[in-house]
Amino acid sequence: MIARIRLAALLIALTLAGCQARAEPAEIGYSAAGLYNLANSYARAGKPGMAVLNYERASLLAPNDSDIDANLRHVRDSLRLASEPRSWFDRAFSVAGPVVLSWMGVFGLSLLGASLLAGRIDSRHRLIRLAAAGVGIALVGVTVFNGIILWPKLHEGVVITGATPVRVSPVPMGDALFVLPEAETVSMVAEHESFVLVRTRTGRTGWVSRANLAAVVAAKSDPGSP
Amino acid sequence: MKTDGMSSGWLIAMITTYLLAAASAVADVPLLYATIEPAQINMGQSAQYTITNLGSEAQSMQLPVVAGLNFQFIRQSRQLEFVNGIALPSVSIVARVTPQMAGIFSIPGATPKSPPLVLQVNPEPALGSYFTPRNTGPPIKPPILTGATMPSGIHLTEDGAAYVRLSIPKREVYVGESVPVEIDLGMRSGFVTSLNGPPKLTNDDFTLNNLSRTPERSEKILAGERFVLFTWRSDIAVVKAGSFSLSAEVPLSVRVRTQPRKDSLLDDEFGDPFLRNFFGPTVPKDINAASPAVELRVLALPTEGRPADFHGAVGTFEIASEISPAAAEPGEPLTLRMHVTGSGNFDRVDSAMLDHVDHWKTYPPKSSFNPSATDGHKGEKTFEQPLIAMKPGKQVIPALAFSYFDPIARRYETARSAPLGVMITPSLADSALTAQQVSASGSAAPQNTYTAGLRPDHVVAGRLASSLIPLHLQPRFLAIPSILALAFTGAWMITGRRHRDRMPVRSHRLSKAANRVLAQMEDAARSGDTARFFHWARAAMQQALATRWQLAPDQVTSAAVDARIGDKDQDIPLLFAFADEAKYSGHDLHATDFARWMQIVRRQLLAEKATP
Repeated sequence: MIARIRLAALLIALTLAGCQARAEPAEIGYSAAGLYNLANSYARAGKPGMAVLNYERASLLAPNDSDIDANLRHVRDSLRLASEPRSWFDRAFSVAGPVVLSWMGVFGLSLLGASLLAGRIDSRHRLIRLAAAGVGIALVGVTVFNGIILWPKLHEGVVITGATPVRVSPVPMGDALFVLPEAETVSMVAEHESFVLVRTRTGRTGWVSRANLAAVVAAKSDPGSP
Repeated sequence: MKTDGMSSGWLIAMITTYLLAAASAVADVPLLYATIEPAQINMGQSAQYTITNLGSEAQSMQLPVVAGLNFQFIRQSRQLEFVNGIALPSVSIVARVTPQMAGIFSIPGATPKSPPLVLQVNPEPALGSYFTPRNTGPPIKPPILTGATMPSGIHLTEDGAAYVRLSIPKREVYVGESVPVEIDLGMRSGFVTSLNGPPKLTNDDFTLNNLSRTPERSEKILAGERFVLFTWRSDIAVVKAGSFSLSAEVPLSVRVRTQPRKDSLLDDEFGDPFLRNFFGPTVPKDINAASPAVELRVLALPTEGRPADFHGAVGTFEIASEISPAAAEPGEPLTLRMHVTGSGNFDRVDSAMLDHVDHWKTYPPKSSFNPSATDGHKGEKTFEQPLIAMKPGKQVIPALAFSYFDPIARRYETARSAPLGVMITPSLADSALTAQQVSASGSAAPQNTYTAGLRPDHVVAGRLASSLIPLHLQPRFLAIPSILALAFTGAWMITGRRHRDRMPVRSHRLSKAANRVLAQMEDAARSGDTARFFHWARAAMQQALATRWQLAPDQVTSAAVDARIGDKDQDIPLLFAFADEAKYSGHDLHATDFARWMQIVRRQLLAEKATP
């Protein structure tokens, strides 16, 4: 009896925590449509770096929005920047938005745990329990793989100024190794003071001033970060 | 025969040694050289330019190109030249040099390291009277006294071929002060064949800085003689105080006649070295032409009133500063420049510029010097310091200061620049602009290539996300599946314990004493001995209940069991009753009854084990 009460209390606590996470007041709100419109405005204003940055941010919230994908590709093609098509792996595990996928994973985990517990308590309905466990594993798997796909994107940055020098060392007078075009997307590997160590799609690395680069997902500590 | 063999061996060894020595001697001989004969001609005459290549190396032999001189190829010849006793094949190109104007021409050497050749072309044939000893025109001027001091402090070399003069504007200087100097080299026409190097100072306490790479060339008439004048401009500096004697010297090659005794009469008759050269065979001779010594007094810099940021700059300077761009974003590098102009020892002009400024990140500056075109100790030194603003808003760069010692005023001075203002605007990437704001700001911008082909805007609706990070990658959200997993694990463990309770009791989970009792009971059951079976069953229950009730096993009687358990569990009082009855009745149990009572006893023993 006591164990049942404890279990019930735990589930109530979980529900409350989930509701709190969902009901967190939005200090600065973002929507895929808002970011998409902002990116369109930057593109029309002739600022392709900011446009690509906001398209990338919008695609985080709406990965399957064809308009975002098309306009991002259009701006990048206009600048003669390489655009990699989405892989089947990417499409397969981005079937829904990140919010839906997140709760889908929680539901899958609950389904898996419940089916295992039911088997422990009662050995009847074996097929139903196995099916439920399989669905739970699949849902959790989709969420985990979606996280694996999105993780590198969270550490990407977009060059927002034209002809950005990439330096050999994180100081303004460091020798320039090469120049990055505006709207180029790079991976941010490390940071040192006001410089970011970046890696390009071709594997070249160097230091870029933070003023020339904007992270797709800026840190909370950054001034005016999303 | 043996003697002949030894002699042959010695001969071979000597020849080998000779060849090796000769080869090393030949290695020192320049392989490509050029000559010009004569070194002085008149307009309308020609000189012979010969360029010779020794050895087998195929070095390029090209006629030089000199403005005002026309080189005309005459012939190419091959011959053997004997150098240090070794016959070397050589190739020579002979060209005729015809001047197109009068003047002094410098012909580049045959190789980059070779000294240049000098050809003097006199404007009028009558002026070159030295070429025509039998000239019936104007009388021959008297020769200059060799080694004599001439007007303007000029002192000729011993052979009268050249002079060097060191001009220093002051006789009292400070340590580290850069003093402009002029070094004049006067070469008498037809005597100097080549200049073998730049001038240098004879005193090691002084350094010669910023020596002009190519001297200025002019002509000068001294005591009625024509001199070719080369002038170098430079700065001298001294590193220690005291009184010093300073002179400059220049390496030269002059033409000296190998004078047989029998020609002494001719020398007495003509006297002039040029005439000696003209009438007799000559050889080149390397000399160092030195200037008369100049006395200098070097004063130490005063220690009194020396500023903390003084780095040894001595002279007269002014500074100015600027920053670019005038507006930037936080994190964007700006360049602060300090221009130091004036005259003095710019090699000691140094500044750390700004070391620490609030809301700014500063980096060490780097400098570059742009000397004046005419005077090396004048110019502009520019310091560039990268700065990065850490905070948006109107920022002020403090004034810059530069300290130096003024040798004219004889005191330390500090030049200051004006403070600079710069506007730091918030970063575009970090500002949360809306599409409308961007459109408004970019309304004046012309249509660009991205506009065409863009898909239309969306209608903004629905909930707003608090973060761009997907929910399932936010640590706060990850707490939910973590707690869920913990909860299911706990539930799994709890249900596992109950599940074990329902499972058949295994003998190894019981104590050794209980196992022994159960073994006795099983043995009695197999043999069908009901009395012995209940005896052991009763003993096991007495032991278990005695532990539970904190009594001695003997005190657990049928009455005590009835009193304490009553109707809660009827099996135990019944077992005690059967045990008493089995002693006297001789009634046998069925096999299934044995199993049932075994199960009851085992459960009671397990329950007892689980009780803390």
